[in-house]
Amino acid sequence: MSSVGASWMRAPYPALVVDAAGAVVEANTRAAVLFPRATRGAWLEDVAPRWLTEAHRRAVADGTDSLGHVGGEHGEWSLEAYPTTGSDGHVVWWLVDDTDRLLAERALRSEQERTAFLADASSRLLASLNTERCMEVTVELAAEYLADAAVLVAPATGKRHPLATGTGGRVTHHSLRIDPAMVPGLAEALQGFPPVPSRWIDPAALPGWAVPEGFAGPVGSVVVTPLPGHGVSAGALILLRRSDQAVFDASEEVFARVFAARAGAALSAARLYGEQTGITATLMAELLPPALRQVHGVEFAGGYRASKDSERVGGDFYDVHPGAGTDQETLAVLGDVCGKGLEAAVLTGKIRNTLHALLPLAGDHGHLLRLLNGALLTSRHTRFATLVLASVRRRGSATHLRLTSAGHPAPLIVRNDGTVELADTSGTLIGALPEVRSSTTHLTLRPGETCLLYTDGVTEAHGGPLGDTMFGESRLRAALAECAGMPAEAVVERVQMLVSQWLDDNRHDDIAVMAITAARTAHLTAVDGHTAGRYTA
Amino acid sequence: MTTMHHDDSFDLTTVRDEAGDPRIGIVGALDWDTADDLTRTASACLGADPAPRRLSLDCARLTLCDSLGLASLLMIQRRAAEVGTLLRLLNRPPSLQRILEITGTSDVLAANGAETGELTPPEPDRATTGAPLPPPQT
Repeated sequence: MSSVGASWMRAPYPALVVDAAGAVVEANTRAAVLFPRATRGAWLEDVAPRWLTEAHRRAVADGTDSLGHVGGEHGEWSLEAYPTTGSDGHVVWWLVDDTDRLLAERALRSEQERTAFLADASSRLLASLNTERCMEVTVELAAEYLADAAVLVAPATGKRHPLATGTGGRVTHHSLRIDPAMVPGLAEALQGFPPVPSRWIDPAALPGWAVPEGFAGPVGSVVVTPLPGHGVSAGALILLRRSDQAVFDASEEVFARVFAARAGAALSAARLYGEQTGITATLMAELLPPALRQVHGVEFAGGYRASKDSERVGGDFYDVHPGAGTDQETLAVLGDVCGKGLEAAVLTGKIRNTLHALLPLAGDHGHLLRLLNGALLTSRHTRFATLVLASVRRRGSATHLRLTSAGHPAPLIVRNDGTVELADTSGTLIGALPEVRSSTTHLTLRPGETCLLYTDGVTEAHGGPLGDTMFGESRLRAALAECAGMPAEAVVERVQMLVSQWLDDNRHDDIAVMAITAARTAHLTAVDGHTAGRYTA
Repeated sequence: MTTMHHDDSFDLTTVRDEAGDPRIGIVGALDWDTADDLTRTASACLGADPAPRRLSLDCARLTLCDSLGLASLLMIQRRAAEVGTLLRLLNRPPSLQRILEITGTSDVLAANGAETGELTPPEPDRATTGAPLPPPQT
């Protein structure tokens, strides 16, 4: 039988000739390697896989043209088989070994799945800046895609380690005193050292806390991988697989590290954010404007509306330092610090503390401002503050004010007849120039009259019908004219309401106002013989 | 109905004036985002060896100057004084002029340099000339 020649025997692809009955006629050298028992006369069904035998039957019955090609597994190979019609009703099966291609396709698919998982993981991890939520997501993802259970060990806070454990879609948080040395590689991972290979970790030696509640079955294999943060470790991740699952292979360990790098970055960002908001909250609490009240027959009322950029600690401030007695002046301060954020907050705190210490020198505003300026001057920057000082003392029905502006919009005075006056004071801003000058004005308020201190957040509020006009001093004066005779609280509320309406939803700077009003119905708060009847208007 | 569109672009152009001294043209808003740019650009001019005789900032196309913008101008003024350079703020728009007046800096940041400051001479100290305290009521 020589339906094929000698060169055919040496063809680089396996070929098999089978007769119509299903008996092997001939196999070339390559085919003999694939099917060692396919000698002449052997039945195809005895030597070849079932899918090929069945394809042969169909090829004989329907013709090779209608069949096209078939494919299937044979031992460790993956084959494609193309039939052609030979002489005497024989079918020649041309076989192509596509094992490598299939492996490559499988690897590609798994890479694509991993990439998709990482993309999904990143977006879920970065969705929250809350540390606990971030730990939860990490454990959830790890337990779902990488292992049967996951335990996240965060760096110790004090003597305890925050832990998040997850298995079967459930995540729990713990705070435990643990000894990281109990899990091989954990202490190292918490310090950011590379992970130890999974095969070095004995699953049976794991401490109880490292196996989440509800983990079904004994632990078969363990991976411990560090969660690298920004410069410092964000913790470590322990992955567990049950003994009935495949152990972690090298590529899975590498992939776990890739995932851990993303989780670590997200956790670290969440932790930094948490620390930052903590600092900001502490500073904010220190810088919040005080509640104001009536002092020695004078009403003080303040209003503060922080800029909408809420993460930025504001730059406006006010304070009232009551005089020790009725014959002592009360010092009110309202100011605006250049810039925003922590630097502005620190400068604000410095100004308020320095002013408090300089209170005994408030008798001379110019002198006090020069001292304050000297305390704030620094070669590093020219961040400055503008402020207004108001020293207030009531004598009978007359309330005397000394007002000094240090580079700040001058206060406005509301008289009982509705006229609004601009306080005649001006001066240099504080904290940027070696020399400062200022001029102080003296004025008197009758009961019911108000002096309004404000920051430029009021006059520079952008809004109005088209949203692009500044509120401006003239609108403020018109508003104040309608506040004649009102108590301090009401004046502040009225101004704040009008500015809010003007702003609508526009972005705005910090807005601070303080009203100093000579009380109409002052009661005797101190009776010592000298001061009796002093406040009866 | 039309709405006003603010042009957000900011630009600094440094040229030499007729005397060969640097002149920085400021276009746009001088604020939180841009003030550092101006400080850097001006400091680079002042850092030349020898330092220029004078440095001019052309404010003709300055649209806004907030507190950080003013801090930048004060920093430039400080550095200019250190190296003996005369700082001039040319073509000041009314809004800038107003900020300088309220903050008491118009004599330091003058149109023709700190020495002349003819636009706003320092005001007399009213603390000494102001009205005396009204007599206490009894």
